[in-house]
Amino acid sequence: MRFAVAVKQVPDTMEMSVDENGSLVRTGVPAILNPYDEQALAEVLRIRESGDEVVVFTMGPPQAAEALRRCLELGADSAYLITDRAFAGADVYATARALAAFITGNIPDASLYVFGRQAIDGDTGQVPYEVAALLDVQQFAYTESLERDGDSFLAVQDYGHVRRTARVPKGSVVSFGTVDPNCPLPSIRGYLESLGRPIKEVDRVALGLGVYSVGLKGSLTRIVSTESVMSTRRNRRVEISNPATAADFIMTELEGSR
Amino acid sequence: MSGCEGGSCSTCGTDDPNRLPPGMLKAYDLNQSTADGILVWTEVVEGPDGPRIDDSGAELIGAARNLTDGRVFAVVFGGTELKSLYGRLFGYGVDTLYHVREKSLERYSPEAYAECIASLMDRIVPAAVLIGATSRGREVAPRIAAKMGLGLTADCTGLRADGRKLIMTRPAFGGNLMADIECTKYPQMATVRPGSFPRPEDSEGQGTVIYWQFCPECIKDVISDEPMEEDGSDIRDAKVLISLGDGIRDRSLIDVAESVARKIGAQVSCSRALVEKGWMPRSRQVGMSGRTVAPEIYLAFGISGAVQHRAGMLRSGKVIAVNNDPDAPIHSFADLSFIADAGDVLRAMDRE
Ligand SMILES: Cc1cc2nc3c(=O)[nH]c(=O)nc-3n(C[C@H](O)[C@H](O)[C@H](O)COP(=O)(O)OP(=O)(O)OC[C@H]3O[C@@H](n4cnc5c(N)ncnc54)[C@H](O)[C@@H]3O)c2cc1C
Ligand SMILES: Nc1ncnc2c1ncn2[C@@H]1O[C@H](COP(=O)(O)O)[C@@H](O)[C@H]1O
Repeated sequence: MRFAVAVKQVPDTMEMSVDENGSLVRTGVPAILNPYDEQALAEVLRIRESGDEVVVFTMGPPQAAEALRRCLELGADSAYLITDRAFAGADVYATARALAAFITGNIPDASLYVFGRQAIDGDTGQVPYEVAALLDVQQFAYTESLERDGDSFLAVQDYGHVRRTARVPKGSVVSFGTVDPNCPLPSIRGYLESLGRPIKEVDRVALGLGVYSVGLKGSLTRIVSTESVMSTRRNRRVEISNPATAADFIMTELEGSR
Repeated sequence: MSGCEGGSCSTCGTDDPNRLPPGMLKAYDLNQSTADGILVWTEVVEGPDGPRIDDSGAELIGAARNLTDGRVFAVVFGGTELKSLYGRLFGYGVDTLYHVREKSLERYSPEAYAECIASLMDRIVPAAVLIGATSRGREVAPRIAAKMGLGLTADCTGLRADGRKLIMTRPAFGGNLMADIECTKYPQMATVRPGSFPRPEDSEGQGTVIYWQFCPECIKDVISDEPMEEDGSDIRDAKVLISLGDGIRDRSLIDVAESVARKIGAQVSCSRALVEKGWMPRSRQVGMSGRTVAPEIYLAFGISGAVQHRAGMLRSGKVIAVNNDPDAPIHSFADLSFIADAGDVLRAMDRE
């Protein structure tokens, strides 16, 4: 079986902060492999059997190769970097279109197309379902576990109020929800081996997409303006040694707002 | 786009996808308001006393009513039992209701729902389509958008209208930024976070109901749908939340918090730290990978205030923090903060 895993390099939003003027501090923020994608890859590596192949791919700037390198170290067999200046500024649709074109041209025969639940840098998990629609395959969102069942798979999906078990046909899109946070990541044993595994580059022309189909020009949404969220709260800080006094204070606040 | 191409469907039995299905009368002149109306997919949930309109759907109908002078269309999926909801939906502001009463669509399927809503969009040609950013909405909306080649703004917390144009506001970068976004094509699409708009008053109204015939091409092989064992309460509905974090070192404090919550009419939520410890269920987690809440009062006990947590409680009315570390980030965005031991304060509140 072949598994294709979509990954993204993201700024570590954990390290991101807002300065006194309320501007986002981005400089010096390290880029990491999107944690959800790392988990998704870990799940795939868990169910792989000998003879299976795990291919990772990402669309991003040249430095996104670092994220792919990490995937190879974790145990992926090969990697594709979909990169071109023209891809910059892509919204969900332009991203999905490029990824779908890549899949159709390079890995049309995968058993599963696996995604993370969301990229932590702002999007909210839309890419997997747009790709599924463009490929015209079924989608399995919020997957919490995936098991092999002969030639297909069984997915358990967490819909909040309902837990669904469904059969996943070959070629479907699976996006992993929050997986078990205690599931250990594969250790980076394969560092030396991974050095031999190539990262292949694919550009816009190779995807067969026109300039107006990708990046900012191919996007169907436009950011009109952004505003950083400044804390508008009136902060009152109380240092209290006696917990009963603090409790009183809080109870009074609660009363006051009824 | 009717999904009935090929004549495989007995109800429509035609290979002309543009033919009006039975039950749809030309007289309604559905295209009169082409591209000024708003279509809302209204989710229906099973309540103890029959089907209920999901809050997010009700909120969006209310929002749509205020955003457009044109028609408000809604679509619901389900059987005859939904008839009891018609009056309420019209009361919220729906002009024309599409009821999809196809048996095979009574079980939720993202592919088929997306196809069906897309077929309605072809018919109605609305200016905008609004869908709740619920777990279902968040996977159906992008499926529609990509199928139809439309822009989609996900997970909006605010909407403004500039004529037919919608300006959609959504948080980005873990809540550090708010972005105003517009779609460059019609119909414009957005998923909207539950709780972003007030739920309209319940009242009964009248309007047009159309049975929309649609036969899905793709039926999912669902083995089971099991309701999650939950007591039915949802932290997103709470007016006051007592939220616990890793500063709660003693598990028995959860019971103390529950006891306080009962007294003051609150619910108990938590940060991811306690879910990871296995002390609290995931359904109680506030934050980026948990639930987004907007209570009137958010009481944070022993929570540091990481951006991922903050993203989920950003829109709370008043934030009160109890944390013994004066440098904890939560203090910088709380309205009232106490540098104190979380357990001691909770116990004292329980004694009051
Ligand atoms: C992709 C991703 C998604 C995430 N999603 C979420 C999410 O949805 N929700 C979420 O909450 N987190 C999320 N996180 C984790 C988040 O970054 C933080 O790690 C988490 O919120 C920390 O929880 P905490 O504040 O309870 O614990 P800590 O950060 O450990 O903070 C505990 C606080 O308690 C204080 N304290 C200690 N003892 C006491 C005491 N006796 N009395 C009072 N105060 C005390 C400490 O000073 C400290 O400030 C996510 C992280 C990632 C990477
Ligand atoms: N540029 C990209 N390249 C490859 N995969 C991506 C890209 N953007 C998003 N994805 C995948 O889609 C998932 C959801 O991303 P998003 O919709 O941006 O939140 C991620 O977890 C990745 O698996």
